[in-house]
This record gives sequence, C-alpha cells and structure tokens, in this order.
Amino acid sequence: MRSSFLRRNGVILTAGTLLILGLHLILSGTRPGARASRPAIALIELLRPVQAFEAGFSDETSGFVHDYLELVGTRRENDALRKELAELESERARTSELEAENQRLGDLLELRDALAMKAVAANVIGSDATGLSRTLIIGQGSHSGFRRDMAVIAAAGVVGKLIAVAPDAARVMLIDDHNSALDAIDQRSRARGIVGGVIDDGLTMKYVGRTEDLKPGDTIVTSGMDGIFPRGLLVGKVAQVSQEGPGLFLNVELSPAADFRKLEQLLVLTQKPPELQIDADDRN
Amino acid sequence: MGLFTIATLIALILQTTIPRLLPFEILVPELTLILVVDLGLRYHGIPAALAAFAIGYATDAFSGNQLGLNAVLFTAVFILTYGLSRAVFSPGRVLGVMAVFGGVLFCALGTYLAGAGWTGSENAALVTPAILIQAALTALCAPAIFAMMDGAAWMTGLRRSSSREYS
Repeated sequence: MRSSFLRRNGVILTAGTLLILGLHLILSGTRPGARASRPAIALIELLRPVQAFEAGFSDETSGFVHDYLELVGTRRENDALRKELAELESERARTSELEAENQRLGDLLELRDALAMKAVAANVIGSDATGLSRTLIIGQGSHSGFRRDMAVIAAAGVVGKLIAVAPDAARVMLIDDHNSALDAIDQRSRARGIVGGVIDDGLTMKYVGRTEDLKPGDTIVTSGMDGIFPRGLLVGKVAQVSQEGPGLFLNVELSPAADFRKLEQLLVLTQKPPELQIDADDRN
Repeated sequence: MGLFTIATLIALILQTTIPRLLPFEILVPELTLILVVDLGLRYHGIPAALAAFAIGYATDAFSGNQLGLNAVLFTAVFILTYGLSRAVFSPGRVLGVMAVFGGVLFCALGTYLAGAGWTGSENAALVTPAILIQAALTALCAPAIFAMMDGAAWMTGLRRSSSREYS
C-alpha cells in the first residue's frame, strides 16, 4: 500500500523535495566557489566554446546586418547632407556676394563723402547691345534726379558720363568709347590731353604735345576743365608713350583705373562741379 | 532524458546568443521554460521532475538571478502543468501554449518578487508590458518546440509515460 502511495505520488514528492532544495539554495545565498555553484560553473565552461564560436560568427553576421542597415541609413543621410551642403554653398556664395557689394557700396560712400558732392548710387543692369560702342545701362534715371552729361564714377576711378536718361534707367558712355572726350592731365608733369577710346578697344590720351614729359606709370587725373568731372579724379595710368610719324603729338596709351567689364555699382554725380579758378601752372 | 539535456543546452545557447545576432534589442523567448512545460504535460515520472529542476538550475547558471531561483520556479511550473495534465483527459497543443504563457507570467512574477521584495515597487507598471510581450512571444514559439521535441522523441524512441499509468 505504501509502495502504491509512493508510486502514485512519486513525482509530486520528488518535485516537492526539489522545491525545498531550491529554496534552501536561495535562502542560503550560495557563495561563489561553494559546492552548490560548481555544477553551474561547469555548465558555463561546457558551453563556452560554443558561445565563443557563435559570438565570432554573430559578430560578422550582425556586422553585416548592421552594415547593410547602416548603408541604407547612410545613403539617406548622405543625400540629405549633400543637399544641405549645396544649400550652404549657395548661402555662402550669396553671403560673399553681399559682403562684396557692401564693400563696394562702402567705397562709393567714402568717395562721395570725399568729393563732398551730391551723388546717387546706381546698379549696372546692362551693357551695350553692339560691339562698336562702349556703354552701360544703369537702373535709375530721371526719377532719381539724373540728367544728361552727369559724371559717372566708380570707387576705382572715372567711368564715363550719362548720354541718355529715361525715368528709371540711363545709359552711360564709358571713357574708352571712341566718341568719348575727357579732359585730363598728367599728375606729375601736368601735361594735358583728351582721353578717349579707340574703335578697336583701348584708351588713349590725345593731343599731348611732343615736348610734354609723359612716362609709363604716370597717373592721369581729370583736369576739371570740361565742366562735367570734378578735378583730380583718377582716370588711369600711362601704359605706353611713343612718337610715330611726323605729327605734333605723342601717342599715349593708358590703362584705365576702373575695370569696365566688372562694374556693378556706380556713383552718378548729380551736382555740377564748382567752376575752377585756372592756376598759373595749368595755363602754362 | 538525454534528449532534454541536449535540448536544454541548445536552448541556453540560443537564449544567450540570439540578442547578439540582431541589430536591435529584442525580448528572447524562454525556450527552457517551454521544455519544462513539455515535461510536465507529457513526461510523468521522477526523472521528469529531476529534469525540470536541472533545467531551472542550468538557466540560473546563465542568468543574473539568485542561484536556485529558476530551479524553484521551473519545478513549481512543472508541478502545476503535471497537475493540469492529470486533470485534463487529453492535453492538446492549445493547453500547452496556455500553460507556457501562464508559466512565463508565473516565473516573471516570482523573479520580480524575489528582486523587488514582497512589498513590490513602483516599477511594476513599467515591466508588466515587457513581461506580457515575452510571455506571448514564448507561447508563440511553444508549438514549434513541442513539435520538434515530439519528432526527436519519436526518432530516439523516448517513451512518454502517461498519467493514466498511475491512476
């Protein structure tokens, strides 16, 4: 009978005994190195080679999966960064442009203050439609107080004069146009001449006597005699002086102070220059 | 019980290495508990009780819990599923899945109480969703594990003792 009871309830009794054993393990707080923990340590050691192998394998696999997933994310991030870079480059270019414009306008402002004359800044909006004339279009006209024959200058030097004025635009004839005639003098020798352009490009100073002292590198400035430009504005420098033929005058080639191809902001002198008292030196 | 020894070792390897294979964190199903439930439902003998205790102890060896905790919990799960299988005429797979689900909750509760103390802590609400998800995940894996063990037992000729033998 007892054996029948044990047979019927052997599993429960065994499990109950094991429960008590487990509780004893918990409550006794098995110390590392104790006999009860040795099977656990042996099991860890038993599985260690398999886990190490799997870890090496899984590192490569997970690395592959990681790399693949990261690639997808990286490409998206790359595209986004490229777009952002392009935007930033564009922004940087705009900022540089604004800085340059600011600098130019600042220079014009200084020039205007130095001249102590009324002047209005204007933007160049176009150039001459043909290759024969040398003119520019600016974005302001009579509404800004512009009139024909008003002087136009840049921070670097003299540019030209207004030859046509519309309400909100005007045409500027450059000093290197073949129709231009600007009264100028050599700052060093005081030699006087008329600055104008040549049809096939270039700037010359005409009607300079053969006896005048002009040398390459001399600074040429406005004389103030034409009633358009104030005195002393920089026109350019002497590039070459030659005497050809039996004529009375020198062939003087100039390099203009202002680069006409790169003009963006100009100053239009809306005030007539003061009348000059001609010096004894200039008369001579 | 050699089959369950091998199965336990494989389950422990998988449980300790699966998280490393994946690039994201995932709750790992308790494969060893599934083996214990299978023991309780289908293998009614003293060796099965010893095996349940051993599986729990082996799980303790690879977990951060107090040594002996999983041994106690798994043995308790074995007793409960053993009693369930004796009460039900023909325990099917559905009962096995439910037993696994309940077993995971039971073990999680026991582990939580052992860690937090009988007074519990305010973190109970935080861990409950994770426990439920793990229980569901383990229950989902149970039918496959049961089928594999059935197949392996059939191949090795392991005899499953029925509770009716002792009635």
